[in-house]
Amino acid sequence: MAAREDVTLVVDGVEVTAPEGMMLVDAAKHGDVEIPVFCYEPKLGQPVGACRMCLVEVEGIPKLQTACSTPVRDGMVVYTQTDQVKEAQNAVVEFLLVNHPLDCPVCDKGGECPLQDISMGWGPGRSRMIDPKRHFQKPIPLSPLIKIDRERCILCYRCVRFSQEVAEDEQLQLLERSASSYVGTFDDRPYIAPFHGNIIELCPVGALTSDAYRFRARPWDIEDSGTVCTLCPSQCNIKLTVRNERAERVLARDNSAVDDGWLCDKGRFGYQMIASPDRITEPLVRSGGELHPASWEEALEAAAAGLRAAGARTAGIVGGQSSNEEGYLVQRILRRALGSPHVESRATGGLPASQRAGGQGDGGALRQDLIALSLPELGASVRDLDGAESILVLGTDPIHSMPILDLRIRKVVRRNGARLAVATDHPSALDGGAEETARYEPGFAGGFLAALAGELGADGYERADGELGADAERIAGVLKPGSTVIVCGDFEGPPSSLLACARALRAEEDGAGLIEAPDGANGRGLREVGCLPVAGTGLSSVDQGLDASGIGGGLADGGIEAALLLNVDPVRDFGAALGDSLGNAEFVVAASMFENSSTRHADVVLPAEAYAEKEGTVTHPDGRLQRLRQGIPHPGRVRPMWEVLAELSALLGDETGIDSAPEALAAIADEVPFYAGITPEEIGGLGVRWQDREAASRFPRDETGAAGTHGARPQDVPTRGVGTLSLTSPAAPDDAGLLLGTYRDLWAAEATEKSRALRFLLPRQTLELAPADAERLEVEGGDEVEVRSNGSVVRARAAVRERIRPGSGFLIEGLGDAARALRGELADVVKAEASE
Amino acid sequence: MASETRVLFRHVDEPGLASIETYRRLGGYRSLERTLKELEPDELLTTLEESGLRGRGGAGFSMGKKASFLPRGDMDKFLCCNADESEPGTFKDRELMQKNPHQLIEGIAIAAIAAGAGWAFIFIRGEYAEMGDVLDRAVEEAYGAGYLGEGILGSACRVEVVVHRGAGAYICGEETALLDSLEGKRGNPRLKPPFPAIQGLYGGPTLINNVETLSNVPHIVANGADWFKGFGTEQSPGTKVVSVSGCVERPGNYEVELGIPSRELIYELAGGPPGGREVKAWFPGGSSAPVLTAAELDLPYSFEAMADAGSMLGSGAIIVADESVSIPQLALRTARFYHHESCGKCTPCREGTNWTVKMLERVISGEATPMDLDIVASVQDNIIGNCLCVLGDSMAMPVGSMVKKFRDEFEAAIEAGKASAPRPLDESAADTRPVALGVS
Amino acid sequence: MTAGERRRLVGSMRPEDAERVPELHEVDVPDDLRERIQSAMSKYPQLRSAAIPALWAVQRHYGWCTPEGMRQAAAVMGVTPAYLESIATFYDLFRTTPVGHRQVLVCHNISCWMRGADDLLRAFCEAAGADPHAADHGGATSEDGEIFVKGFECLGGCDVAPMASIDERYYGPLSPDDARAAVEQLRSGAEVLPDRALGKRQAAGGPEPEPDPRVAATEAGGSG
Ligand SMILES: Cc1cc2nc3c(=O)[nH]c(=O)nc-3n(C[C@H](O)[C@H](O)[C@H](O)COP(=O)(O)O)c2cc1C
Ligand code: SF4
Ligand code: FES
Repeated sequence: MAAREDVTLVVDGVEVTAPEGMMLVDAAKHGDVEIPVFCYEPKLGQPVGACRMCLVEVEGIPKLQTACSTPVRDGMVVYTQTDQVKEAQNAVVEFLLVNHPLDCPVCDKGGECPLQDISMGWGPGRSRMIDPKRHFQKPIPLSPLIKIDRERCILCYRCVRFSQEVAEDEQLQLLERSASSYVGTFDDRPYIAPFHGNIIELCPVGALTSDAYRFRARPWDIEDSGTVCTLCPSQCNIKLTVRNERAERVLARDNSAVDDGWLCDKGRFGYQMIASPDRITEPLVRSGGELHPASWEEALEAAAAGLRAAGARTAGIVGGQSSNEEGYLVQRILRRALGSPHVESRATGGLPASQRAGGQGDGGALRQDLIALSLPELGASVRDLDGAESILVLGTDPIHSMPILDLRIRKVVRRNGARLAVATDHPSALDGGAEETARYEPGFAGGFLAALAGELGADGYERADGELGADAERIAGVLKPGSTVIVCGDFEGPPSSLLACARALRAEEDGAGLIEAPDGANGRGLREVGCLPVAGTGLSSVDQGLDASGIGGGLADGGIEAALLLNVDPVRDFGAALGDSLGNAEFVVAASMFENSSTRHADVVLPAEAYAEKEGTVTHPDGRLQRLRQGIPHPGRVRPMWEVLAELSALLGDETGIDSAPEALAAIADEVPFYAGITPEEIGGLGVRWQDREAASRFPRDETGAAGTHGARPQDVPTRGVGTLSLTSPAAPDDAGLLLGTYRDLWAAEATEKSRALRFLLPRQTLELAPADAERLEVEGGDEVEVRSNGSVVRARAAVRERIRPGSGFLIEGLGDAARALRGELADVVKAEASE
Repeated sequence: MASETRVLFRHVDEPGLASIETYRRLGGYRSLERTLKELEPDELLTTLEESGLRGRGGAGFSMGKKASFLPRGDMDKFLCCNADESEPGTFKDRELMQKNPHQLIEGIAIAAIAAGAGWAFIFIRGEYAEMGDVLDRAVEEAYGAGYLGEGILGSACRVEVVVHRGAGAYICGEETALLDSLEGKRGNPRLKPPFPAIQGLYGGPTLINNVETLSNVPHIVANGADWFKGFGTEQSPGTKVVSVSGCVERPGNYEVELGIPSRELIYELAGGPPGGREVKAWFPGGSSAPVLTAAELDLPYSFEAMADAGSMLGSGAIIVADESVSIPQLALRTARFYHHESCGKCTPCREGTNWTVKMLERVISGEATPMDLDIVASVQDNIIGNCLCVLGDSMAMPVGSMVKKFRDEFEAAIEAGKASAPRPLDESAADTRPVALGVS
Repeated sequence: MTAGERRRLVGSMRPEDAERVPELHEVDVPDDLRERIQSAMSKYPQLRSAAIPALWAVQRHYGWCTPEGMRQAAAVMGVTPAYLESIATFYDLFRTTPVGHRQVLVCHNISCWMRGADDLLRAFCEAAGADPHAADHGGATSEDGEIFVKGFECLGGCDVAPMASIDERYYGPLSPDDARAAVEQLRSGAEVLPDRALGKRQAAGGPEPEPDPRVAATEAGGSG
């Protein structure tokens, strides 16, 4: 974006310089002049000039102007203190109070209320209003999470604008007109949308309050503590509201490089899981088939003994929520203390089945691909989206995989006119804003990418023909070489074709790039600190270990005897198969916040920290290292996990010498060349992208190998389904089946289960299918069905969706059933007798 | 004896004037033909600008000048004919559309060509269903005769005309609210700048003109700028269809040369107050115009004279109140209207109109003190100049003027107390509606 | 609402209760309604401009903007029903509650008021059997559910004040007797007040005066 040059203006006699076109309110701040506002909120887009609170005098213009919507010009002379301005400010405050109940003493907003502050600072200080105010039912639930008190609403439109112009769910609207206007939903339905919690923070009065927070605390007896939400890869920056050592609320900690100051409802309300009564708060050791509380010493001794026995036949699985420090220490325990190469942190994107050959395959090539994918110049930052002229969303739906990107992409399309193309198997929430959408067969991302690569002229790839070719052509038509950001997810198959596309779209040095939304919140960090079977710390070369399914197989056939599980629920995150196979393990150590499939077979259970209790770092999908800072004390006997793992390592004979979280980071920085020298201080409150640091030059680019140089290994290009890919293609094969895909629903998460406020959002297993197939299979929306394929059965409720590709069906992952085992299968669908 | 000068109203009651045959028999659509054959868009614009034609919708801005603000070059440009006519006391556009729709359509086609607009929308208030039907028919005829659509009369020009019916909201007459409404949103005014001429409908350059303004266009094109300036005053050239209503013997539309004495309009054309009563107060330009008194009846009826008198010609609608009318009641009716019609977007208008109504109700029911009159007055001052559009001012100015010019009557009303108290007029109905929300 | 009711209401809220853009195949839209809306959508450069025409279509089909009707329109337009309800409640001519299918709008603004609008409104209410206070505050429907009477802001018929719009046609000047007659005619289905229809009215200034010389001069080659 072209930098605008500075202009000089005078505000209340003070000379102020500001970039041309900046709104007066913001420019005035440069001269320490505060102009009061209500409706102005740049995050919501263009100013609306509705509240009239910001009126100021501009020399040469007779009428007062709204500072929120007046761009600064060179030589402009502005007054914010004249009588005329004061009268206007008094008038507006008085008008706002005409219908505002003065129930501040019982209002949650009291003490942190802009209306209160502005009335004090800019109001007339007396009331001439004796007529009755307007009355509404108060407060009533707008949703299970938010109460609305319409008497307090000052009709600034912020919440409504958020719903319409930011989240674009358009559920929240202004109804009626004039002084009778009020904020509401259609037919008084609840407002339920993934980002709706943001309106609580947007509301400048106590009209919209968090049900979970109401009357929990008062602004003067709370403290704020900044950290990062690790419930998904968005890694939004948050502020914890802490009272009596409890997290009572989560607010956005605006970081334009990460989250634009928004949060999804999982991040906003998921904090409740921290204080859940189900938390495991002490070490447990199994004896006589039962888990019993134990001292840390006992627990760690037992853990060490069990793992020592299995030695190299131990596998480590690190859950996506783990910090870099935790991940580093787990892989170090396995590789150094136990001599085992089997460390995994990814559920998908592992070795392609074609190469797995009993778990041993061409891991070198996969490592080279991963290195190539992580090349600094290939990676786009979240901010790069703002400048992109076109965006390709591929094989993932940000609303589920990385919600805050969904808002970011909407913003760029709506405000900057960026062109959006969506190519996915499962319908995406972004379809509506896309110029072109292509829907390929479930799990066929690799094939589609190969076709796209051909379309983009990547060498080694050919243009596909038939509908696949046509779809690829439509998508390619939207993408502007040199200014395209690709947003993709972890997908089956090798990333070489993705690489080829990314390279083809990178005309020159700048602009274009890639953002991978990994399955795990800290997926990228874990990958870079060595939690992969094919790559060690800093993506270094290692003896290749088994990936997730390989580990499952190993547990089954005895190749693997013990497992060290950290912050992972194998069934939820990796599927029932791996979960069941843990039953065969000789010995399992599970570090977990809650009882789940990891503790079910555990011999030793170590209580894990919640993100709000952690010190450490995570790495954002765009390479930004961010700091986790402890905001609340540990419950019960919970201890810092880095410390626990360091002790375990020592007991197993590898003395790490790590005595603090920063020391753990230092150890990482020593081993990850492109993290070299990084410190918590440097990371600071807003984080730092490693690609922007000098050490980025130490990235192992020379090891990118085949994929890195031309990115084409045509034998990887799947051919299944070529020529039948299009929304417009005729309904599925007449044989009864549906080709199944799965997706991880935003709400299919532990945080949903363990947070009281969110529980109502837990999804029911649902089979989504196209109208044509519904007819063919004689199921209707709402029917209970059973979805079967070689042995696995999943019960689901059918939902008919226009935007599902005929022939495909989709189930939700992460609900603990066998759904994941059915992905990629041709499954039968039969009606089940409805359960109540 | 004053008489009308009929230009727009020429042949107004000719049977079948609304049909394309009759309109053409009387010389219709020749200006459009001439435009296409002989005139370059720029010549057209100069003619319109030189004619000095001022907008008839309220603001009185030069039509030609406004048209010339639109950027040149080919991009999607739009013309909107403002037929929302909702200003109390105004009903001139209604009669112009109902009786001579083709005059308007011809004006629209010419103005669109001048402005380079390929689309023209006639935003007609929903209440005018009858006139909407007349327009629909006329537009269809015009398409049939090749005056509208692709390649008009074999030229390269294209003008698509859509009759868009509103649904009942005075604010949609405000040009930017009209645009939002036409885009399918709530009719909320927009911040200006950007002005519609630069960024209007669908973000494209847009020319917005009133029905009467556009109906003048064919005549100016046919007879030239000088001919047009031959009518009216220097700053208010042309004729004006004036809607006279209220306490007069013969309410109705009268087309006169701008600048004739107001008294002639009210007394000679409209017959003055019935029963020989005297004029007490009159709105010269719709209910948004500050009221004038009997003492001001001899002012020439022109944009400039009305402005000098501290009021405005506005939409050219005179509402007469005679001795029999209670000014406080008149003030309340006026305030009630703006309270009801405020879009609710900006604070001073939404809350100010609402508060004013409540205070005036107390004045009338005798529950007020003279001090409340000062508050009423100061609330009007607090509204004026502080709103997003001028709807707020449109209440504050007339109400303020009534309190100022007839304060004794308000004080008397307070004295008279509850005797004359009307039924309370607050919008309680609307207020209570949402109370039902979410309860079951 | 009591705390208990509130809790029950919250407990009853399910994610699927939220009104998102309806899937077209899940709502069956009457054919004529669908056609009306689609043809409106095709008339404008941008789809949403059809919002008001679509709501008109819904109101003509169901007599008022029913929630179901708005859902159907939303499904055809691909917008949320909330979006359409927000529009519907902004404009005075859309009804979001059931009303009588014959409609009488009586202007109660300045010019009509000065000429007896209040009495006229009352006369309509009494004749129809509708509550006058309610009629003047948002509208009221007669007991028999037939006739909807509403005090309305200036209808632009001040030349025939006091006036009313009856089933979208203007009539005036009206006396209380005319009101009673009109209600009768509405009930019997007879033509309403033929001699009061505004459509038939001549210009107030009377028959065409001698054209002004400057106008006459142009008649030769002039325009309408
Ligand atoms: C509250 C408000 C209501 C208005 N109503 C109308 C109207 O009903 N008809 C109209 O032509 N202009 C109306 N206007 C004026 C328009 O904003 C605009 O100035 C006019 O349509 C421009 O056309 P003109 O230049 O031909 O007069 C209104 C303005 C305001 C502020
Ligand atoms: S509820 Fe709050 S945010 Fe929404 S309009 Fe009212 S004051 Fe503004
Ligand atoms: S902040 Fe400028 S008008 Fe609201």
